Amino acid sequence: MNPPLLFIQGVAPANGPFAQLPRLKDNARFVRVYDLDAPLLQDVRAVLIPAHTDQRALRAKRELLQAHLDQGGTLLLNGHIAYPFLNELTHFVPLIERRMDDLRIRRLAPHPIFDGVDEADLSFRRGVAGFYGRGHNPPPPGARPLNGIGTQAAPIDWLYENAQGGRLLMHSGNDLWMHAADPTSARRIAPQLLEWLLAGEPA
Amino acid sequence: MKTRIAAIDGGTYYHQATLHDPLLREYFQQIIYAPELPGSSLEEVDVLFVASRQDPQLMIEAAPTIRAFLDAGKTVVALGESESERWLPGIEWHPREVNFWWWLTPGADSRLRIGDKTHPLWNHLSLADATWHQHGYFNPPPGARRLIDHADGGCILYEDTHSTAGRMILTTLDPCYHHGSYFMPSASRFLYGFLPWLAQQETPAENPRRPDTART
Repeated sequence: MNPPLLFIQGVAPANGPFAQLPRLKDNARFVRVYDLDAPLLQDVRAVLIPAHTDQRALRAKRELLQAHLDQGGTLLLNGHIAYPFLNELTHFVPLIERRMDDLRIRRLAPHPIFDGVDEADLSFRRGVAGFYGRGHNPPPPGARPLNGIGTQAAPIDWLYENAQGGRLLMHSGNDLWMHAADPTSARRIAPQLLEWLLAGEPA
Repeated sequence: MKTRIAAIDGGTYYHQATLHDPLLREYFQQIIYAPELPGSSLEEVDVLFVASRQDPQLMIEAAPTIRAFLDAGKTVVALGESESERWLPGIEWHPREVNFWWWLTPGADSRLRIGDKTHPLWNHLSLADATWHQHGYFNPPPGARRLIDHADGGCILYEDTHSTAGRMILTTLDPCYHHGSYFMPSASRFLYGFLPWLAQQETPAENPRRPDTART
């Protein structure tokens, strides 16, 4: 039986503090996007897709990914959508202005992944704004915005749940787990994210 | 004749945003998807522009194609974070802690220094346009033209016409990722200066020293 999490490798193998978390290593298989096939997705609860992933390859595998979602599985997407590879996706919309207030992150709805995470720790790292994101991937109708960016609070993070129980979690920026070793409340995201992903139903 | 540049596209969002940037797209006669590079016909190409952050495994699979391209006297530009030392000849790269935050210190020194000041690239770029954090450094082979050195040793941008019959331009800088992420103004300036310079290069047909012209 496959492990519950399938981690798609980006242009380089996963490394860094998130990849070292025992909870991830104990529950995930790491595969190159080019190797993704139906047997690898069998019984998988959640697929994790980093921002640094070949989206042309994801588009070539779109039927597999769409089926995973439509059969009740969970997908976590990071990055800017350049090649919409699911029915629920459209192209990334970059911010026009990138002053501090344009980059500020605001919580729009509570969610266990962000429990105890201060908005300021998403907006700023070492006082610098803009690491969390630079725009947003527009959500499909019925999605729930979780965090907004800028003065208009454009939905940078959102969750879409379909009628089959499939869950599509979008983070329109650098990998959601990039804060795993931050000395701030943002480091809570990575372990809380893993628990939320593992609590999903298999596709 | 116009320099024919083929860009290598790794399929990420930042490759898409960079290679299709309206200010850059005109420089690329072709865009070749990285998994399709092995065995591609490159007869109509003068320069391979390998955008930063490719999957190294794909580039290793393309290494014979790239080597044949260099052996024909042509030019390969390899930008950073693609482990070019694993798929191009004569490259010595070393890791060094990435200085992500150096610029937060007022008056901080980037440690970068212009090497060969006479290189024509400097008519299109300033050192500031190549200044952000660095991912390791090279020890270029003898005879290479060092364009940007690091004060603590090594080089982050150089040109090598000695290791092969062609020309390699290597850098540790990863401008495509940052430009395509709307993140680093200097990375954008780097590309907006570098590509116009690259597009002005003489093609092999105009350069009698190049081996593929010697046959004609």
